[in-house]
Amino acid sequence: MPLFQRACPRRAGSVAPAGSRGARKLVVSARPLSALVVPALLASALLVPGPGHRLVGQEDGGDPSRPLVVYSAASLSTTLPAYGRAWSERRDLEVRYSFDSSSRAARQIAAGAPADLFISADRAWVDWLRAELGLESPGRSLLGNRLVLIAGSSGPERGGFEEAAAGGLGPLLLAGENVPAGRYSDAALSAMDAELGTSAGDRIRGGSVRTVVEGVASGAAPVGLVYATDVRARADLRVLDTVPASFHPPIEYVGLVLRPDAPDASVAEAFLGALPTSGVFTEAGFTPAPGIGGAPAARSGGAAVPPPPLPDPVSAVWLSVMVAVAATLAGLPLAVFLGWVLARKEFAGRTLLSTLVLVPLVLPPVVTGFLLLEVLSPRTPLGRLLDAAGLPIPFTILGAVLAALVVGMPLYVSAIRGAFASVDPHLEEMALTLGDRPRQAFWRVTLPLAAPGIAAGAILAFARALGEFGATVVLAGNMEGETRTIALAVYTLLEAPGGRQAIWTLVGASVLLSAGALLGYEILTRRQRARAEWVR
Amino acid sequence: MNGTRSPWLLGAARLELGGLSLDAEFRFSDPRVAVVGPSGSGKSTLLRIVAGLESRAIGELEVDGERWLNGGGPSIPPWHRRVGWVPQHDQLFPHLTVRENLAFSSPAPPAVEEMAKDLGLAGLLERRPRKLSGGERQRVALGRALLSRPRVLLLDEPFSALDRSGRAEVVGRLSAWLDTHDVRLVLVSHDERDVEALCPERWELSGGTMTRLTGAA
Repeated sequence: MPLFQRACPRRAGSVAPAGSRGARKLVVSARPLSALVVPALLASALLVPGPGHRLVGQEDGGDPSRPLVVYSAASLSTTLPAYGRAWSERRDLEVRYSFDSSSRAARQIAAGAPADLFISADRAWVDWLRAELGLESPGRSLLGNRLVLIAGSSGPERGGFEEAAAGGLGPLLLAGENVPAGRYSDAALSAMDAELGTSAGDRIRGGSVRTVVEGVASGAAPVGLVYATDVRARADLRVLDTVPASFHPPIEYVGLVLRPDAPDASVAEAFLGALPTSGVFTEAGFTPAPGIGGAPAARSGGAAVPPPPLPDPVSAVWLSVMVAVAATLAGLPLAVFLGWVLARKEFAGRTLLSTLVLVPLVLPPVVTGFLLLEVLSPRTPLGRLLDAAGLPIPFTILGAVLAALVVGMPLYVSAIRGAFASVDPHLEEMALTLGDRPRQAFWRVTLPLAAPGIAAGAILAFARALGEFGATVVLAGNMEGETRTIALAVYTLLEAPGGRQAIWTLVGASVLLSAGALLGYEILTRRQRARAEWVR
Repeated sequence: MNGTRSPWLLGAARLELGGLSLDAEFRFSDPRVAVVGPSGSGKSTLLRIVAGLESRAIGELEVDGERWLNGGGPSIPPWHRRVGWVPQHDQLFPHLTVRENLAFSSPAPPAVEEMAKDLGLAGLLERRPRKLSGGERQRVALGRALLSRPRVLLLDEPFSALDRSGRAEVVGRLSAWLDTHDVRLVLVSHDERDVEALCPERWELSGGTMTRLTGAA
């Protein structure tokens, strides 16, 4: 999940229920775009296959030259290869890695990715994968980590976790609730809130830990909560405080041998066995595993952080329809105007305008979203103006509407342009000779004659808005009930264990709505053609 | 008709548009003028210029002492010219009923009823144009033009889709209507009989030149 979501009391004018935390979320910055653009399933599937490619659970002859394939949480991406190099030196063995979020890695493994080991700090995904593969072992507890409070160069000089939790250090940037760091942070803050007996200060939600690190480094937020190991080598970040370990369930990296019955399972066991005592991890700031070095991990349950809340499919469908309808209606005047101008007016720059209108059709929606965010973010004069006017666009439902509108505009305008082009201009001239001024002729003749085509364009724009993902996720974020539309809810569900039923509900709703819309489009287009044709 | 009256329409030499180039002066004197000539000679374009629909036309055009077109300068827009234009293709508004088409320029409702009756359209008032025959549509188009309180009627092959008897009837109605209204007529037609029945003054447009055939000098 990409973005920072601000969990703060509502702005002036609307009141958050007393004692409720995070009544409204407002998001401030984006995670690296590449993470969204590259279909992760494909990308990391490509990282791994090699001569030793084979499916999990497949019968194995114990080929000693077969590489050991490790799927790991991205937070180990620098340390794990260093450890692996040292470990494999004495053996004639190659180790290959795929680093990704635990959610994607686990889903890829369940889908047959040729992995021997899964290492993750997300107990929910470890357990999900164990259930999927029918694994008995709870996994091996490998390493621990700590949460630290960090500040960037423009942030506060000093301060403690307690102060940060109370909001005394300014907005506090957290990782998303779908990544473990975000949920550990939530747990720690809830505990602190309970201790202080107050509700939260200003909290902003990011996506991955990386977005928090970069967000604090860039000054988007003064302080943030991340893993201690994430900021070890960062000169531009200062660690203000370490969150007391008693405030959250122990942070635990668990290693799971995925094919315990294979002849070379002992190799995988050995890789995990030596890991907790390796100096590589201590140097990087990892703490010993909560269960002492290499001991079996605690079974899931009380000790682990709870899995993230699943998106609500009903809310997503409702929100999608609302956003799509709003985008369609809001875009109507502009689409009609542009369609008419392009169909009827000759002027310098017409080709340019026509091209510009079409740009969002070919631009990757993520890029469109990014450009909109750059223009409308509170850092820009326009963004500040909108903010002051009480119409903040980024990371609000308005942003979702705007993203859907912009991305749908090319189809909208093209359909309407076609409708206007099909209206015989002689009819408009006739109206002029009968005493109508051009504006009256437009309202009395042109517009009614183009009406079916305009309606068809609106339906097309509505259908496109329903399916919008890329621009929305960047500009509006992914907030339940505010910007989490169908596409975003499905995406979120794919990152959470379980939720299959919800996914299918959304898929069904999505297919039905889109098919219905396109049917309507087809009918109206036919009607427009009939209306335009018989005149000749 | 009276051959000594002064001209009501003066066209000057520089009326130019695309393929059409008028390089002669023409002055219509009789209130009822026909323009004939080979296909493609620009008769329809001439009517469109008079109607004010050819925005790229330059030249001089004076109608009843009013400058409708003044060199490259401002011209009177179509909605102020009060022309009753019946183009070759009737151009009925397809989304409106016959009644709504006739009433487009907001005449009094009784006038609409009466005009419909005169033109044999009384039973068709609630129909849409697509349900009409070609002849019926031409009647509607003519009625719509007459109901717009025109100063100049511009009729471009207005009877082409009517059968013989219908044609005679409509021509007769139109002639009677013209007799009782102070309205100029410019008729473009291929049909000798229509021209003879309606227009004492005749011009030929050919090769960009207007030549008077008959009528007042």
